[in-house]
Amino acid sequence: MKALLVLVHGSPTAGANDAMREVVEELRGRGVYPLVEVGFMECNAPSIPEAITALTERGAKEIIAVPYFLHTGTHVCDDLPTLLEEGKARHPQVHFRMGDYLGLSPVLTTILTERATR
Amino acid sequence: MTALVLFSHGSLLCGAGEALEAHATRLREIGQFERVEIGYLNYSEPSLATTVEALAGDTSVTEIQILPYFLAPGYFVKRALPAALEPLKNQFPRLSFTVAPAIGFDTRLADALLDAAEGARESDAWREPLERASSSCRGVDTCPLFATPACPKGGGAA
Repeated sequence: MKALLVLVHGSPTAGANDAMREVVEELRGRGVYPLVEVGFMECNAPSIPEAITALTERGAKEIIAVPYFLHTGTHVCDDLPTLLEEGKARHPQVHFRMGDYLGLSPVLTTILTERATR
Repeated sequence: MTALVLFSHGSLLCGAGEALEAHATRLREIGQFERVEIGYLNYSEPSLATTVEALAGDTSVTEIQILPYFLAPGYFVKRALPAALEPLKNQFPRLSFTVAPAIGFDTRLADALLDAAEGARESDAWREPLERASSSCRGVDTCPLFATPACPKGGGAA
């Protein structure tokens, strides 16, 4: 079974993840992936390792991770690959892949043109 | 004329601006605003102040619209941005400033994530953003890559 794992920074601010959670609900509604889960780098639960474990317990044989990040920073460049490599080592029967981070999508340019008010 | 300034946090990592610079390039091509610039709060150049000062030197610019390149209207958009703008408003009273909403929720973000998942790759490609970052090396010792094997100028990769 294929799983989509959305990798999120996390925030100590209440409400900071609300829009992201709406996007994840939208993803679940699309029905492309039978399993859709969120894993946080910091501040919020579940952590990325916890989310990986939960997905494997629910029968995921393939985990496709997509970073919900706008920039290339040390998280995208290094921390997220490391967490996924550790997940691979812990769950050798699961096939892990990772997609581009969200900021690279031209879809965001379109959204930015609409956020601009004129 | 209204100039658009993409406002972002900034990063110590060389090459961290690749995505925002790509958005700025596309926004210039779209032509919705005659001028599109980037201004960072921290670390990266140009700073918001440097960008606003440069735009103020263009007499055709009468309004500056700040467009936050942030996922959510959190601390940086609600607190740090107004604090950074206040002295600039005082410095340039002839300019009017407006602030657009943060990215927030949009169903098309789900499309973008599904596209990213569609193109997902095996583990040998997971550090390509790191390789791209090091190709934008500025040789500054505050970059987390400085003096590591990934840094072209920091002495790591002789």
